[in-house]
Amino acid sequence: MTEYLETTMDKFTFRVAKDRFYTAQGAWAFWMKPEAPNRIRIGLTDYLQQRSGDVAFATVQPVGTQLKEGESIAEIETIKTMLELPSPVSGTVVEVNPALEMTPEVINQDPYGDGWLAVVETTDWDVERMTLLEPDAYFSAMQTEAHGELKKQ
Amino acid sequence: MNTDKTRVVVVPCSGIGKPFGTVSREAAYDLCDELRPESTRLVALAKLVLGDPEARDLLAQYPAVTIDGCKQMCASKMVTQSGGTVAQEVSVLDVFRRHKDLKPEGIAELNEAGLKLARVLAEEVAERLDSGEQPEKGANHV
Amino acid sequence: MSELFERKVGIVACSGEELAEGTVARLAALKVLNELRPRETVTICLPLFLAGGAGDRAFARVHPTITVDGCALRCAARGTEMYSSKPAASIVVNELVAECGLDRPEGRRRLNAAGKKVVDVTAERLAAMVDQVLGKVTGTVLAADEPDAAPVGEEREVACSCGSGMAVTKLVIDGQTVEWVALPLIFRHFRERGLGQDEAAALELFETVKIYNAVPPESEESYRKTIMLEYADFCQKENQL
Repeated sequence: MTEYLETTMDKFTFRVAKDRFYTAQGAWAFWMKPEAPNRIRIGLTDYLQQRSGDVAFATVQPVGTQLKEGESIAEIETIKTMLELPSPVSGTVVEVNPALEMTPEVINQDPYGDGWLAVVETTDWDVERMTLLEPDAYFSAMQTEAHGELKKQ
Repeated sequence: MNTDKTRVVVVPCSGIGKPFGTVSREAAYDLCDELRPESTRLVALAKLVLGDPEARDLLAQYPAVTIDGCKQMCASKMVTQSGGTVAQEVSVLDVFRRHKDLKPEGIAELNEAGLKLARVLAEEVAERLDSGEQPEKGANHV
Repeated sequence: MSELFERKVGIVACSGEELAEGTVARLAALKVLNELRPRETVTICLPLFLAGGAGDRAFARVHPTITVDGCALRCAARGTEMYSSKPAASIVVNELVAECGLDRPEGRRRLNAAGKKVVDVTAERLAAMVDQVLGKVTGTVLAADEPDAAPVGEEREVACSCGSGMAVTKLVIDGQTVEWVALPLIFRHFRERGLGQDEAAALELFETVKIYNAVPPESEESYRKTIMLEYADFCQKENQL
C-alpha cells in the first residue's frame, strides 16, 4: 500500500507518493525492483496533473524509443495546456500504458497508479537516481511552487 | 388528447470551474431551445438533487440526457442516484477529443470554438434522439 | 512544520439554467472570483459539491462560504448547508432585484441589458459580503443547552467524506459556549516556532486566532485570556508526551 505526503491549499489536496523519485518538472520514477531491477515506471505527479487540468490526449514515445535523461518522453494535451514531460532516466521504452489511447483521463484519476505513462529499461539507474529528488525534497519544492501559483491569482 | 411530445429531460452539469462546464450548459440550450424544443425539457441539476417535486416527476416520467463537463460525471451520477434513467451520458471531453480544433476557452463567455463545440455536441445528441432509440429503464448508454 | 491555511471565502452559485436569474447568479459569482476579489475567493463547483466532491466539501467546512441563488428555491444555500455547514452569507438574485428596484433580468442564455445590470449589482453586493466575512466572520455562539453539544473543552473533528477534518473546540467564555476553529493547529504552529507565553507572543497568537474565528470587540479581553489559558494547557500536555 503506497503511502503519501499530503498538503492542502484552498480546496486542493496534493499528494506525493513516498515510494518513488521525482524530477523538479513533475515526473515520477518508480523503480520496479525486485521483479525487474533494470526497469523504471514513469508518470506525472498529482500536483502536475491537477495544475494542468483534464487530460484530453496523451502521446508517449513508442516502444523501442531510446531516450536520454531530460528528453521528452510524453506529450500531454489538457484542456488548459500542452505539456512535454522530460524523461527522468535514460534508456529504452519497453512498455507504454495502453489505457492512455482511449481513456487518458486515467492520468487525472490515478496519477501514481493506473495513470502511469511508460516503462523504461535503464542501464544506469544507480547513477541517475542520484540526480533525482527524494519524496521529501520534491514535496517541499512542490509546496513552494503551489504557494507561488496561488499568490499569483 | 395528450399533446406533450417530450421524450427526454436534459440535465447539464453547468460546472463553474472549467470552460467545459459552460460548454455543457450551452449545448443544453442549443438542444432544448433551438434544435429539439418540442421533445426535450431542460432541468437544473441542483433542483433535482435537492428534491424539487416537479423536477423529480419529470425524471420519473422521462429518461435523461446528461451532459458533463469533466470526468467526474456529476450530472450522470446524480441523475442515477435520484432514481432517473440515463438514456444518453455525454462527456464534453469525449466530444472534444473527436473535434480537436474546437478548443473551448472562457467560462463566463465561451469563445467561438467553444460555442461550436457545444453546437456539435447538441447536434449529435439530437441525431441520436431522432434515431428513435427507446432505452429500457435502468439502461445507461452513450 | 504545521501549516496554517490562508483564510478565503468559497463562492457557491446555483447556475440554474432554467431562469435568467440563475445565469445572473453564475455570472456574478464569476465576476467576483475573477475580477473583484480573486485573491480572497475560491469557486465551489455546486454539481461537484452535491455529487460528493471531497475537496470542495472539506474546504466549505473550514472556510466561510457565500451562496448566490437565482430564486427562492435556494439550491446553493440549501445544498451548502446540507453537505458542509451553513453559509456565512447568501444572496438571492430575485430578492436583490426587488430590494434595489431593478428591472427583472431576461434571457436565460443571453442576458438582456437589465440582466447585465443585475449581474453588476449582484457582484458588487457579493464582493462587499466577502469583505465583511473576512473582516468579521459570523461566528457560532451556542447556547449552553444546545442539543448535541460536546462537553466544554472537548475537540470535535469536523468529519468529511474524504477522512480529513479540522478540529472544532468548544470553550465556555462569560457563560456562553463558543466554537473555535483550528485551535490545535494554531497552537501547534506557535509551539513549533518556539514562542513562549509572554505578552508579545500572546498578542501574536490571539491575532492569528482572530483570523479564523469571530471575536466580539467588547469581549476581546475575556476571549484572549481564555485562549491563552488553553494554549498554556496545550503546551503543558505536549511537554508531557
